[in-house]
This record gives sequence, C-alpha cells and structure tokens, in this order.
Amino acid sequence: MTWLIEWAGYLPQLMSGLGVSLMIAGVSIVAGYPLGLVLSVMVQHRNLAVRTLGLAVVEIGRGAPALVILYLFYYGLPKFGIAFESITAACLALIWNSAAYSSEIMRAGMQSVARGQHEASAALGLSRGHTFFRVIMPQGMRSAIPGLMGVAIQMFQGTSLAYAIAVPELMKSAYNIGSQDFNYLQIFALAGICYAAISMPATWITVYFEKRLARHT
Amino acid sequence: MTLSEIANGKLAPRTGIRLDNISKRYGDHLVIDDVSLNVEPGTVTALIGPSGAGKSTFLRCINLLERPDSGTIQVDHHTIEPGKVINAKDLAALRRTVGMVFQSFNLFPHMSALKNISFPQQKVLGRSKEEADERALQLLERVGLKDKAHQHPGRCSGGQQQRIAIARALALDPSIMLFDEPTSALDPEVGLEVLAVMRELADDGMTMIVVTHEMQFARDVSDTLVVMADCRIIEQGDPRAIMSDPQEDRTRRFLRAVLER
Repeated sequence: MTWLIEWAGYLPQLMSGLGVSLMIAGVSIVAGYPLGLVLSVMVQHRNLAVRTLGLAVVEIGRGAPALVILYLFYYGLPKFGIAFESITAACLALIWNSAAYSSEIMRAGMQSVARGQHEASAALGLSRGHTFFRVIMPQGMRSAIPGLMGVAIQMFQGTSLAYAIAVPELMKSAYNIGSQDFNYLQIFALAGICYAAISMPATWITVYFEKRLARHT
Repeated sequence: MTLSEIANGKLAPRTGIRLDNISKRYGDHLVIDDVSLNVEPGTVTALIGPSGAGKSTFLRCINLLERPDSGTIQVDHHTIEPGKVINAKDLAALRRTVGMVFQSFNLFPHMSALKNISFPQQKVLGRSKEEADERALQLLERVGLKDKAHQHPGRCSGGQQQRIAIARALALDPSIMLFDEPTSALDPEVGLEVLAVMRELADDGMTMIVVTHEMQFARDVSDTLVVMADCRIIEQGDPRAIMSDPQEDRTRRFLRAVLER
C-alpha cells in the first residue's frame, strides 16, 4: 500500500499542474470558439477576399500540428521582436487551434440546416443578415454542440503540448516529480488518470447531448 | 373580421400577377418551356398536372425562389425581367407582395409559433414587437391555434404547423398567396383543416395560386384551372368545364388517373 501513500504525496503538485492545464484549455475555448464563429462566417462569405482570408486562417490552424504553431509563437516570433511568456504562447497557439477546428464544426452545422429554411426566409423577404443570424445560425449552432464539446476535450488534452515550452502544466509537473526519484511509470500513470478523470466524464456528457439533440430534431 | 382583413388591418388592394414567356432550364434540361399566365386580382388559380410537369418550379419562379432564364413578371406596377439583373428593390417589393406556403411548412423550429409569425413582421415591415405580437395572436386565433402560440413547431401536428405557416405568410400583408402542395405532406383528414383555412382566404378575395392534387378543392374553390404537363401549360379555363370535358388527351389521361383513384 505504500504506493498509495506515495501517490497522495504527488497529488498537490500534480493538482497545480492540472489547474494550469484546465486554465489553458479554458482560455483556448472561451477565446477560440467566438473566433471560430467569426471564421465560420468568413469562410461562407460572398466576398472572395474575406473568404480566402478565413480559409487561410482555418487551414493553417487545422493543417499544421499544434506543436508547430506553438513553437512558431514561442521561438519564432521573438525574431520579429514579439516575445511571449511561455504560457501566453501556449494559449495563443491553442486558441488558433481551437478556433480553426471549431469553425469547421460550426460551418458544417450551419450548412446542414435544411434548404427549406433558406427558402422560407427568402420568401418572407428577410434580409441575408437576418436569415443568417436569426434563422440559420441558431439552428446550425445547435447541431454543432456535440462536436464543439468534442473539440473542447481535444483542447484539454492538447494542453499537454505546452510541456514542450516548459509551461508548468500537468505533464510538466508529472515530469518534474518523476525526475526526482525516477518513478516515471507511476507518476505518468497518475497523470494519465488525471487527464482521463476530466476527459471521460466530458465525453459522457457529450454523448448525452448528442442523444438529446438527435431526439429533438 | 375575415382572415385577410385581420392580415391587412384593412382590405388589401387586390393585386393580380402576370407572367409572360417564363422559361427555365437546369443545364440542358428544360423544366419550364415558355409559360405565360395571367392571374386576375382576387381570383384563385389551381395548378394541376402530373409530377415532373414543372408546376412547383413554375410557382417558385413567381417569387424568384427559382430564377427563370427568361420572361417577365409583372406585379403591382413592378416589371421584373429575371433573365437580366434584378435590382434589390424590385426583388424586395415582389417578395413583400407575394406570400408563400410550402409543402414542408418550413417553420423556424427554434422559435415559438408566435415568434415565427411575429419576427418576420418586425424585420421585414419594421413593426414594433407589440404590434407584431398582437397581429400574430389575431392570426393564430383566426386559424384556430391561439393556444399553440407559445409552443414550438415540433410540438404541433403537421396540419397545425401548416396553419401557422399560412398565418406567418399572411402577417406580412401579401396581396398574392402562393401555395406549393400545401396538403401533400398531410394525412387526408388533417389536410381538411388546412383546406378550410385556404377556402376562407379565397372567400375573402385573396389572389391565390395553388399547386395541388386536391381535385375537389380545385373544382370547388378555384376560378381558373391550369393543367401543366411536360414543362408547359396544356390547358386552362373554368375548372368544372375542364374536369367534365377536357380538350386535351393528356389532360384526360391525367384526370382519369386522379379521379378514378
């Protein structure tokens, strides 16, 4: 039973790491999703320049691994005199990541809205703006909810990448503890349990929402 | 008060609509072949014919949900030539004059029945929320659904949804109403309650164009029967005359098929 006592001893340090991970994930979602909404509108825009700009931001955010973006922000930008704290760089990179992924989910949600909704809006004489923001978007966002929750879980797990630029998040805390007495197996298992303890219930909630939404549409 | 009086506050100026030489093709596929139709103010025109004849497409050309390749549309002193550039003002005027009811209702599922009817009034006509809500409630009462005002469409039966959709269109004071197979998605029994509302609207003198398979409605309510087949109008005139003595062989075959069912 001594390992249990050891684990309990690790917990405070791990918990502070978990707190940082949750904070980064929270920031990337709270800032990333509204940005994702803007991007999803941009990629559907009639104006080619707006559409192209939106597409570029989305495709880079989805196409490049988050770690590459993270390194670009942390190691690359100082070259232009823009230097960030490691945690700020991590947040910015993950915001871009979550904005890009969420925008595609929102776009797909909005494009799944029945054609009849566009037709009814047009027949009533509603403007493009009213049609989009009052008719299409609310319905599209509704069907995007489960997907957005899935991205949130990914974002939380993605915060482990911030370890690579020495942000004191969960992985970094685990590594620090492990390097003290080389008990890596136990400590990384514990870190894994910490990630799972958040991600699994979140997945269950997502599945619940999926079922609920499926029933009401 | 009658339905259209409630819809308009006063009796709307009756408007007809005139379509000349409307053609529409999808790629190489011709769907409307040079169709002309004149609808007198205050009359009901029933559009019947076999499926694939182009009835719905033609109806959707009238308010430009489908853009015809050529022809002219004249309504309320506006002349629109869909083959050319349509200016936004003409399009807005057309959509404001013409109301439409769809086969699949197309209510906004995230809004209550009341909001479905009230929201477009506020956005399209600039009415205040109070005024629009009041108008919506009057119309809901008139179609027998006042108690459904705060329900979402998903909680209403098909027939109820279609009546809400009719109320939504009427709330914008159209002078012409288009109906695209309004009862085809409904059980026959439920369809009757929708037909009753339409009949009342016709009695009020609303100009209506109805694509339908309801032969009895076409015979009893419409002033003009238009038979479409193969992308064109093959016969039009008095509904009883056509039904009892069709001039075209194609009409005869179609009527036999639907009436002897």
